[in-house]
Amino acid sequence: MTSTIKRLTMAASAFALMAGTAQAADINVGSVAGVTGPIAELVAPIVAGRNLAAEHVNAQGGLLGGDNYNLILADSQCDPKAGVDAGGKVVNVEQVVAIIGASCSGATNGMVQSVTIPAGVVSLSDSATAPSITDLEDGDLVFRVAPSDAYQGLAIAQLAIDQGYKKLAMTYANDDYNAGIAAVFEQAFQDLGGEITANQAHEPNKASYRSEISTLSGNDAEGLAIFAYYGGSGITIIRNSLENGLFDKFMAADGMFDASVIEQIGADILRDNIFITQSASDYADDSYKAFAEAFEATGNDPIAPYAAHGYDASFLLALAIEKAGSADRGAIGAALREVASGPGTVIRPGEWEKAKAAIAAGEDINYEGASGNVDFDEAGDVGGIYSVNTVGDDGNWETNLIQ
Amino acid sequence: MDQLYGISLYVISLLTFGGIYAVMALGLNVQWGFTGMFNAGIAGFFAVGAYTSAILTTAASERHIGGLDLPIILGFIAAMITAGIIAYGVAKICIRLRSDYLAIATLGIAEILRLMFKNETWATNGPRGVSLIPKPFETLPEPWNHIAFMALVLLIVFGLYVLLERARKAPWGRVMAASRENEAATRAAGKDVDRLRIEAFVLGSMFMGLGGALTAHYLKFIDPNAADPLTATFLIWVMLIVGGSANNKGAIVGAILIWTIWSATELLTSRLPDELAIRTAYVRVFLIGLLLQIVLQRFPNGILPEQREKALRAEREPQSQP
Repeated sequence: MTSTIKRLTMAASAFALMAGTAQAADINVGSVAGVTGPIAELVAPIVAGRNLAAEHVNAQGGLLGGDNYNLILADSQCDPKAGVDAGGKVVNVEQVVAIIGASCSGATNGMVQSVTIPAGVVSLSDSATAPSITDLEDGDLVFRVAPSDAYQGLAIAQLAIDQGYKKLAMTYANDDYNAGIAAVFEQAFQDLGGEITANQAHEPNKASYRSEISTLSGNDAEGLAIFAYYGGSGITIIRNSLENGLFDKFMAADGMFDASVIEQIGADILRDNIFITQSASDYADDSYKAFAEAFEATGNDPIAPYAAHGYDASFLLALAIEKAGSADRGAIGAALREVASGPGTVIRPGEWEKAKAAIAAGEDINYEGASGNVDFDEAGDVGGIYSVNTVGDDGNWETNLIQ
Repeated sequence: MDQLYGISLYVISLLTFGGIYAVMALGLNVQWGFTGMFNAGIAGFFAVGAYTSAILTTAASERHIGGLDLPIILGFIAAMITAGIIAYGVAKICIRLRSDYLAIATLGIAEILRLMFKNETWATNGPRGVSLIPKPFETLPEPWNHIAFMALVLLIVFGLYVLLERARKAPWGRVMAASRENEAATRAAGKDVDRLRIEAFVLGSMFMGLGGALTAHYLKFIDPNAADPLTATFLIWVMLIVGGSANNKGAIVGAILIWTIWSATELLTSRLPDELAIRTAYVRVFLIGLLLQIVLQRFPNGILPEQREKALRAEREPQSQP
C-alpha cells in the first residue's frame, strides 16, 4: 500500500514538472467539456467557440500585462464522475483562475457541488440548462450564459398555440436536456389551453421508432412535438412517421436544428410542416454578426447550438480577469457581474482592444454577446432569446427571431 | 507552493476515487476472483447503492421521492442491504448459469436497473438526477474536508480488505476456490456449492452498492450517466484483472493504479494543441485497452497474482502441529 502511494506521488510530481514548463505568462482557465460521450458532436463547435475567443484576446494584446489567455481542455464525458475528476484536475493541478463548463447539466452539477464551490472557483457554463442549477447555494460562484430550459419549453408551446395547434402528441429522448424541455413544454401547452394526446419517452440511437410512433398517433393528434438530438433519434422519428403516414406536422427544440434534417428528409416534404426553436442569437444584431464572421473564417458553422454561448463564456471570463486586475480567483465573480451588464461602454465579440483600453481608463463596460445581452440575474442565470426556424424556399433553414 | 498544494489535493482526489473503485474491485474479487462468477453488471448494483443512499439522506425535494434527511451512515448501510437483496434475487435465478451465460444475464440486469432509474422519473427525477446529496465532513474547512473523506474511504477499503483476507483463508474461502477450480469434486466432497456461490454473489454486490453510495456522496449528485457501463463496469474489470484477480491486495493496487492512469493521462493530452486534444480524449480509452493487453501478455495473473501456495501452506502448518 505505501509503495503504491509513493508511486502515485512520484507520478504526480512528474506531471507537476511538466506543468511547470508551461510559459510563465500563461493565465489558465479551465475549459471543461463533454468531448467524448453522448453529445460529443455537439461539443466540438462549442469548444471551437471558446477557443476563438481566446485567440481574439491573445491577438489583441492578451490579458493584463500581455499575459497569454490559456484555455485548458478537460473531458467531462457528460458523466458526473468524470466531471468531478476533470474539474478537480483543472482547479488543483492546472491552478486555473476560473472554469468554463461543464457541458452537460449532470456533469456540471457534480463538478460545481463537489469541486468548484468548495474551492471558491467561479464556473461559467455555456450549455448546462437544467433548472436545478439555479437552486444551488453557490455563494455567487456558479454562472451560466445558457438559458434555463424553462424558457425554451414555453417558447415552443406559445408558438404551437399561435399556429393553431390544439392537440399534440409529444415524445422526448430520455436524457437530462430533452426531458427537461419536454416537461416544461407539456405544462405550458396545457396551461395555454392545448391538449397533449400522448407523451412518451424514448431511448436514443435505436434503429427504428415505429412502435413508439404508432403508440403516439391516434386521438386526433394534429402534430408531433419532438425533443431529441437530430443524430440520436430525431431524424429517424420524422422518417418513420412519414413512412407510415402517422404524423406529417412536426415541431422540435434546438437539439433537432441541423442542416442534415433537411438533407435527409427533403425540403419539399418539410416545408410548412416543421418548425424548430433554437436558443439563438439575434442574427441581425451587430454582436452576432461580428462573431459569425470570425467563426465562419475558422471553418465552423456559427449557428451550431451553443457555439455562440461558448464564445461568450470564454470572452466574458477574459473580461472579468481584466476587470479584476489580477488572476485572483476570489475577485472573478464580482468582476464578471460588472462586465456583463450595463451601464458602460458596449463591447462586442472581437473587440478586445477596445475593452482593454476602456478598463484601463477606469470606465465601466457592458459586454453584449453573440448569444444575447448576457445580463446575469441574481442566481447567475441569463434570460434567453429564441428563434423559430422553418424550411425556406431555397431549401435551407429560414430563421426568424421570436417576437 | 500553490502548485504543490494543488497537486496534493489532486492526489487526495485520486486516492478517494481510486479507493471507491477499490471497494467495488474488492466486491468483484469476491465474485470473480474467489468464486469464478462472471458479473458483467457491476453498474447495476452501483446504481442501486447510489440511488438508495441518495434518496434516504438528501433533504426533502419535490424532484424525487424520499428526502428523509437520514444520517449518511444509515444511507451506506441501506445501500448495502438493498444491493444485497437485489443480488439475492438475481443470484437465486441465475446462479446455475456458467460463466459467459451469467455475464450475459447480469449485463442485462444492469441495463434494466439503469433504465429503471432513468425512466421512473417520479422516484429518481429521471435523467436529471438527484442533486444536493450531503457529503460527509463537508462542513470542515478546506482542505480538511477532502482529507477526512479520503480517510473515510481508505478506512473502509482497509476494513473490507481485512475482512476478505480472513474470509479467503477461512474454510469458506477455500471451498470457494475449490468450487471455482473443480465444481464436481467440491460437490462430491459434500459442499453446498450453490449456496456458497449465492453468498459470494450477494457479498460482492453489497460492496458494489457501497461503492455506489460513496460515489453519490462524493459527487453530491447522481444521475443515470454515472452508471455508464464503461466507467462503472468495464473499468472495474480492468482494475481487477490488471491488479491480479483472487488477490485482495491486487484488487486495491489495480483500482488505484488504473484510476490514476485513467485520470492523469488527461494532464498530458490537454497540453496538446486543441485539435489534437479533442481527438486524444478518445485515445485514452484505447490506451487503457492496450495496457490491459500488455499486462495480460506480461503478467497473465495480474501484477499481484493469487497467493495460493502460501495460503495453503499456512493453513497446513497449524494442522500438522498437534
